Amino acid sequence: MKRLPLSGVLIPLLSVLVAMFFGGIMIAVQGINPLYTYEVLFETAFLSFDGISVTLAKATPLILSGLAVAICLRAGLFNIGAQGQLISGALASAWAGYYFVGLPKLIHIPLALLFGATFGALAAFIAGALKAYRGVHEVITTIMLNSMVIAIADYLASTPFKEPDQPLTRTPAIQDSARIPDIFGIPFGFFIAIAFSIALWWLLRNTTTGFRIETIGRNRNAGWYAGISVKRVTILSMLVGGSIAGIAGAIETLSITGRFEPAFNAGLGFDGITVALLGRGNPLGVIPAAILIGGMRAAGSTVQFKTGVSPEIVDLLLALILFFVTAPLLARLLKRRHENVAITSGWSN
Amino acid sequence: MLKRLAAIAAALSLALFGLAACSSDSATSEADCGSESAFCIGLVTDTGKVDDKSFNQSAWEGAQAGATAVGGFAKYIETVDPKDYATNIGQFAENGYNVIIGVGFLMAEAMSTAAAQYPDIKFIGVDQFQGAAVPNLTGLVFPEDKAGFLAGYLSGQITTSGKTGAVLGTDTVPPVRYFGEGFRNGVAYAANELGKDYPETKLVYHAPDNAFNDPAWGGATAKQMLSQGFDVIFGAGGNTGNGALLQIAQTPGAYCIGVDADQWGTLPEAQPCLVTSAMKLIDKGVAALIEAAKDGSIAGGNFFGEVGLAPYHDFDSKIAQEIKDKVAALTPQVLDGSVPTGVKL
Repeated sequence: MKRLPLSGVLIPLLSVLVAMFFGGIMIAVQGINPLYTYEVLFETAFLSFDGISVTLAKATPLILSGLAVAICLRAGLFNIGAQGQLISGALASAWAGYYFVGLPKLIHIPLALLFGATFGALAAFIAGALKAYRGVHEVITTIMLNSMVIAIADYLASTPFKEPDQPLTRTPAIQDSARIPDIFGIPFGFFIAIAFSIALWWLLRNTTTGFRIETIGRNRNAGWYAGISVKRVTILSMLVGGSIAGIAGAIETLSITGRFEPAFNAGLGFDGITVALLGRGNPLGVIPAAILIGGMRAAGSTVQFKTGVSPEIVDLLLALILFFVTAPLLARLLKRRHENVAITSGWSN
Repeated sequence: MLKRLAAIAAALSLALFGLAACSSDSATSEADCGSESAFCIGLVTDTGKVDDKSFNQSAWEGAQAGATAVGGFAKYIETVDPKDYATNIGQFAENGYNVIIGVGFLMAEAMSTAAAQYPDIKFIGVDQFQGAAVPNLTGLVFPEDKAGFLAGYLSGQITTSGKTGAVLGTDTVPPVRYFGEGFRNGVAYAANELGKDYPETKLVYHAPDNAFNDPAWGGATAKQMLSQGFDVIFGAGGNTGNGALLQIAQTPGAYCIGVDADQWGTLPEAQPCLVTSAMKLIDKGVAALIEAAKDGSIAGGNFFGEVGLAPYHDFDSKIAQEIKDKVAALTPQVLDGSVPTGVKL
């Protein structure tokens, strides 16, 4: 199967440019200079050490939630539940972070990450099992699970796990031994995220499991016919996706927020969908996509301050990017019936 | 195709270049903010919009009024993500602003960290009760329970079905809880006075996640209450509460009560049901503190703002004079504490 890396990069790149063009029109309509706005955006996000530090910090959970969605896309599944899985992981790791006292850093951090991964996987497992054994579409189950998980997390943070002697809904702060440090100003979590990205890329490319995932992603029936246990691979993909999303939440908690507080992880799971689609479902492709989106979010405050553009501009640009990235794919799927780079099997399965 | 696209993009970009516009119509302009003579005021909203028709909007209006009064310049940043509180405050701090106003209870921690970091800047925390006083951080706090109590008292007097309710933001934010519980106690006080046995006021709180920007939930909750025969409903929770008010406005015969500001003016679509609003005069408080900051009389600790019921507007003729007199008589007693609201603070 031919896969030219250039064409893989071209569509996302063009989508970003076209989106920025239409975004520029919306900015101009507000009476503000769009070129100046983009200049401030890119300068703040990428052209200063402090800026890059914040950008990479914001990109870290996006890489991981992007991976969570991407690995499922590879298996032909839409993981819209990344947000719920991320919240599960964030809460579980926050609990592990404050509950265990007196552990050395080298043990506490991996332990907390493990908690995050486990509970993220748990949230995804339900959707995976229902899909595998009952054929319930994962879009429906994952969206519903998001609401359920968020509600449960809100309850846990407001009652049993609440930090005592203060009114806010949040867990106590994690122990110092659970904090993930910065390396030269860049959160170590970023490197963990890159490692996962490379690991997943390698998994998909060089292992039998990866082959099975890719196969059922392209054609479930062909996979079944070839002797692959579609049910098992479906559940496995959701578990992997869920655990990575859980780790995303865990790293965010252990590096940035230092505790679980509802509303402090807003949007990370959904941005992961944009990241995965922008990266075209490729585990390595999510890295530049996440850095771009992380940069935009990091620069939002300064853009607002210096140009006066409403903060919604970032969401607008992301929505436009998403639209333009998926449009050519849709067109191609409709025009030609063979699956060249079908990153999803859509609704037919 | 690509070349054509690029050419069009370039041409239009050049055209868009000329569309840059900026305006500033206060005495100091933004560019002066670092200098000695300029007095610049920055406002950081809570998550939600600056035109949310109540909370953030009142604070911003107060900031603008204060800026005009002292001949200064005011600017706002809307917070999208609670993790950005510190970054947003920092924008103003790093650019020579003299006064930074942080709106909302959830921002308290970020504000005290910033106050410690920038001792020369005056910080005003709206709804941020100060436990220990910090010299450059003033908490603008309000006795919301009293405003809620008065609104509840009125509701208890005007209700015909006896069923009253409140659609609220999250109870994890104490001011919202004080409004709600004050309201409930006010209804009970009125019922007691009238010798009626009304069911306890139903308080429905939103989850902490996205509590103040969920009008759909607010509307749905109000609709549910209305279908169960509730005829006076208090909407208190930014945009969430607004959703409830708008829903109630569509039901003839039901009364609704707004919050924070006089929503008759800020949310005209709610007028058909809006008998009053439980106001906390945020704008007045902010403006007063800005003037105090300018003349140096501002102090750390807590500054208690004013609360009250908004005028009845068109409902003035529809409420019995006797009820209006009772409310007017009770108001000073509640405000000075001689009639306790019974809310545990």
